[in-house]
Amino acid sequence: MLDKNYSLYFYSSISLFMALLLQIIPVFPPMAYWRPQFLLLVVFYWLLKKQHQHGVTFAWLAGMLLDIFSGQMLGRHAIAFSLSAYVLVLLSKKLYNFGLLLQASLVFFVVLFNQLLMASISLLYRTDWNIDVLVAPAITSALTWPFLSLLMNGLFKNGRLNQDNLFEEQK
Amino acid sequence: MRNIFSNGPSYARRMLLLSFIAGILLLVDATTQWLKPIRLWATELTIPIFSIALFPRWASEVIVEFGGTANFKEKSKLQEVELLILKGHLQRMAWLTAENVRLRNLLNATELLQHSVLVAELIGASPDPLSHTIIINRGKNYKVFEGQTVLDADGLMGQVIEVYGASSKVLLISDSSHALPVQILRNGMLSIAEGHGDFRHLSLRYVASIADIKAGDQLVSSGLGGRYPAGYPVGVVVSVNAVSGNPYLAVDIEPSAKIDQSRYLLLVSQTVETFGANRDAR
Repeated sequence: MLDKNYSLYFYSSISLFMALLLQIIPVFPPMAYWRPQFLLLVVFYWLLKKQHQHGVTFAWLAGMLLDIFSGQMLGRHAIAFSLSAYVLVLLSKKLYNFGLLLQASLVFFVVLFNQLLMASISLLYRTDWNIDVLVAPAITSALTWPFLSLLMNGLFKNGRLNQDNLFEEQK
Repeated sequence: MRNIFSNGPSYARRMLLLSFIAGILLLVDATTQWLKPIRLWATELTIPIFSIALFPRWASEVIVEFGGTANFKEKSKLQEVELLILKGHLQRMAWLTAENVRLRNLLNATELLQHSVLVAELIGASPDPLSHTIIINRGKNYKVFEGQTVLDADGLMGQVIEVYGASSKVLLISDSSHALPVQILRNGMLSIAEGHGDFRHLSLRYVASIADIKAGDQLVSSGLGGRYPAGYPVGVVVSVNAVSGNPYLAVDIEPSAKIDQSRYLLLVSQTVETFGANRDAR
């Protein structure tokens, strides 16, 4: 059982790392505004699929990781990620039964919520804010969600992950 | 078998606790400098991962390399021509500099500063689209220092704000927290150019409505403030508009540097000019 959890955490950290790479590829605005929140999406995926092992703490750690990489205020992404993860956990029982498209529309709102949180936290040290930064990542994240979800389903299907796949059990 | 009901603190409690911790960190970071060493240390650890994230660039380089040499040949021919033109300019430059030093000596003015440059390469950019900072591959190992000026081929680009072992972080002039003292080349009028989080636009602060400024004016760094050396091109005035109800003009500037495209940058360090008339005077 413990062994299984270890391999699960191995998978989730690998996917987090890949998402982090996508998140830090140097892209400049205005293109950067449209970059999906890859890290948050991967957190959402694990939150939905393996809720017993990945909860708010997982999201918090991922947020802290991104904070270190953005090199600004520590804890900014951590707060936003853990709060949006909490919202997602509250919604997760419903999200299970949703189709991918419906999930995507919910992802839109949760990412929007995340961006709003980030915006309000940034007011601590800067006064400018751009509406593009609020909405654009939410749109692209929602569009990315179905593909990411299917891709990760496919990737982890043959691994040991499937042995106690909650998603399968629910069906 | 696992419980459906979680054992351990509930999600809400965990969320509150974690956000509380992060909130404390945030407040401490926003109001004090206590966390700066930790942040510097952590950022240093992230640098190798930033280099891994450059894989799209490697891929494109490989594609270009296999894409045929015709393109390369054309490019190198163009560069040769450009080099010739620049060398031509430089020939007169040496003479002009010597004369300038002599004249300044006659005037008993301060010594001219000579600037030596170090080439650096961009290896990362901040994942936050609102923060205009980049990471370059020169650090303490090349004696980069905080506040050092960064140029690209066309103009002033920013300043070093954090120095790590083999890399450093540069704040770009387009960041909304950045302002730099500038001077209009045509008439010497001083002003301050501010960034707005937009690579293509800077603006001037507090330009009186009677100021002598018009579209097409070239702006260079004025050297006031002591951070940037004087005389590097900053931008060109694109438009000057009067805003009704506002005593100041809205001046839009396009930066000379290709802030979002330049990959190779120059780090400037100053040394005192010590040739010709100047040396004789001593």
